Amino acid sequence: MNPSKPLILLIEDDQQTRRFLKTSLGHKGWRIIEAGDGKTGLAMLKNDKPDLVVLDLGLPDMDGISVTKRLRQISDIPVLILSARSQEQNKIMALDAGADDYLTKPFGTGELHSRLQALLRRINRGHPVAEVFQTGQLKVDLALRKVFINNQEVNITPIEFRLLSILVRQAGLVATHRQMLTEVWGIEHINDQHYLRIYMGQLRHKLEINPARPRYLLTEIGVGYRLAVYES
Amino acid sequence: MLKPFKQGNDKSRLDKSSSSVWLAYMWGIVTPFICTLIDWPLRDVLGGPSILMIYLLGVFLVANFFGLAASILASLLSAPLFAFYFARPIFSFAISDLENMVGLFVMLVVANLTSNLQNKAHQNAELARQREGRTNALYRLSAALVEARDKQAISTVAVQHIYEQFGVVSVLLFANQQGNLVYPNAKPLNCSLRRVNLADAQAVFQHRKIEQPQHPDVFYYPLEHSKLVFAVLVMQIDARDVEPNFYLSGFFDTFCTLIAQTLQRLHFAEQAKHAILQAETESLRNALLSAISHDLRTPLTRITGAAGALLESGHDCSDDDKQDFGKVIFDEAQRMSDLTSKILNMARFSSGEIILHQDWNVLEEIVGSALNRLNRSIQNRPVRTQLPSNLPLVWVDAVLLEQVLINLIENAIKYTPSGSPIDISAEKSTSGWQLVVADYGLGIPVGMEEKVFEKFYTLETETQQGGVGLGLALCRAIIEAHGGTMKAVNKNGKSGATFIMNLPLREPPLLNLDELGGASL
Repeated sequence: MNPSKPLILLIEDDQQTRRFLKTSLGHKGWRIIEAGDGKTGLAMLKNDKPDLVVLDLGLPDMDGISVTKRLRQISDIPVLILSARSQEQNKIMALDAGADDYLTKPFGTGELHSRLQALLRRINRGHPVAEVFQTGQLKVDLALRKVFINNQEVNITPIEFRLLSILVRQAGLVATHRQMLTEVWGIEHINDQHYLRIYMGQLRHKLEINPARPRYLLTEIGVGYRLAVYES
Repeated sequence: MLKPFKQGNDKSRLDKSSSSVWLAYMWGIVTPFICTLIDWPLRDVLGGPSILMIYLLGVFLVANFFGLAASILASLLSAPLFAFYFARPIFSFAISDLENMVGLFVMLVVANLTSNLQNKAHQNAELARQREGRTNALYRLSAALVEARDKQAISTVAVQHIYEQFGVVSVLLFANQQGNLVYPNAKPLNCSLRRVNLADAQAVFQHRKIEQPQHPDVFYYPLEHSKLVFAVLVMQIDARDVEPNFYLSGFFDTFCTLIAQTLQRLHFAEQAKHAILQAETESLRNALLSAISHDLRTPLTRITGAAGALLESGHDCSDDDKQDFGKVIFDEAQRMSDLTSKILNMARFSSGEIILHQDWNVLEEIVGSALNRLNRSIQNRPVRTQLPSNLPLVWVDAVLLEQVLINLIENAIKYTPSGSPIDISAEKSTSGWQLVVADYGLGIPVGMEEKVFEKFYTLETETQQGGVGLGLALCRAIIEAHGGTMKAVNKNGKSGATFIMNLPLREPPLLNLDELGGASL
């Protein structure tokens, strides 16, 4: 990966938005290249080898879902979707097509920055995954399949562990219902959302102090789940 | 003359009527001979007039069963038979006897008169029967039309009744928004539209007549009432199958007027509905406008002020000031953004019907997500949740139920002092499950418990709090769309606003343990 500042490919048609993102992200230590439409974006992806893609769903030439699909055919690069409120369904489709996370417009640059950092962590998938993952008081030992809260081991079932490990693998990023159902129960159970809800509920009761106001296992209504990342 | 018949048995009916004519004439011929045979052995016992009476009876019977023509034939045939066999001289057509001559003459006159009378009686009976049939048909049509709730249904009823009554295949063409007739989406009868010409129909629709019809056997009839044409009835008339020119009859007119009246009723009902909708849209627009002017102006003023100060002061501005102004712009813009998305959401939900995307959900997740999204505005306010673990999966639209919770919690935050707690609880009830959101504020003014759910209603004393008065209306609409009810009460009679939602419970799907087990590591 890039040893110096990470390079972001920003595909967004609004010039003003591009300008302010470039300025504020530049201050936070990112380098940015811009594309005003999907085709240019895909071309730049091949030529400039960026580390991350930030993709606006409403592009003039092609919709965000097909951009995501085309992009996934040629690269494994992390993709962050920028969506407006009215594009709820498109957002989920783009996530299922391979985008890694989303941010609803309007957003603060602080929020964008932390999402990008979470995505950057995902790039390190190529390296051996850290054996022990920690966020706040939650510690997950992936090698030993053990989970600790406040250094006390929590007893969890294999399925719960698999769900948790999906969230750990993309900590800070959203995991869609579809993705989790497919990975744990298989593609034929894609519509059995109640499986997921029941097991996530059990997991919440084991890991959260107040399951109705979770600190780690956040629900993204209508989309999926996200494991919150806190500095320890 | 118009007779009701069905197309299905048309052919056989025509055959039957022609064969029955021949049968009538046959009886007209045969009857006098039968009378002759009856009279022959009695010729010595009976006198001429009595024998004539038998003939008269025969003619009368023929008139009764086979109509006027056959009876005249019978009477004309009776005369020579009587003259030949019974009137002296026998076996000659000559009649010497004056009595027999007068008798024969009277018989002919009486036979014709009775035949005529009978024929009239028959015709009257037939007419009465027809009238009754038509009255029945009209009654059935109007009864069916009353049931019809939309154009599609009216069209189906009309076409079916026209087919049953007149035996013609027809179709109703309606105009679209632009006033152009269009082909129907669904055919009420399994009939072909192949000869229907839209241009001809359009001409009838607009001018009530066609200059030069493309197919002379396709008939276009404007369904009009009170000088308004509501649709065009197109009939494919196969001349062999139906009464000619049946559509010129008053009965057909009545039939069509009935259909046109129903269409008019529908038209007016639609207009009324449209007017109500428009009025609602209008008041929604007004409410949105006032919300925008009240709630968006304040942050806009601050943003303009701060940005203006930044621009004007230029290099004189201290770094601290720059930082401050930037923060003001950022915060206020954020506030505006929250507010606009809220207003837009409300407008979207309020303008149309709510479409539910229901799925099996865990209430805890929805509550958790709502609280997470409101983290910033909740701050350090205690939120106490009581969600029993025995609450099963609920069949709801999670996004909308989250919206309900967000609205209720935001309301609680808006109308209670900071630090005042909020309670969220749920429990299984006898008929389903209950969700309660309660605060510890001043409560809802007495008597306003229903009023708060009305669109555009806001508590007047709290106008500075902003809001367009759609939040609770939207909540109730969402809960009702789920088949539930929502009410507002005060916890202690006069303080502590409490919103109680009762929702139906559905049997949750069984978890197939085998399938779940398949996921073991």
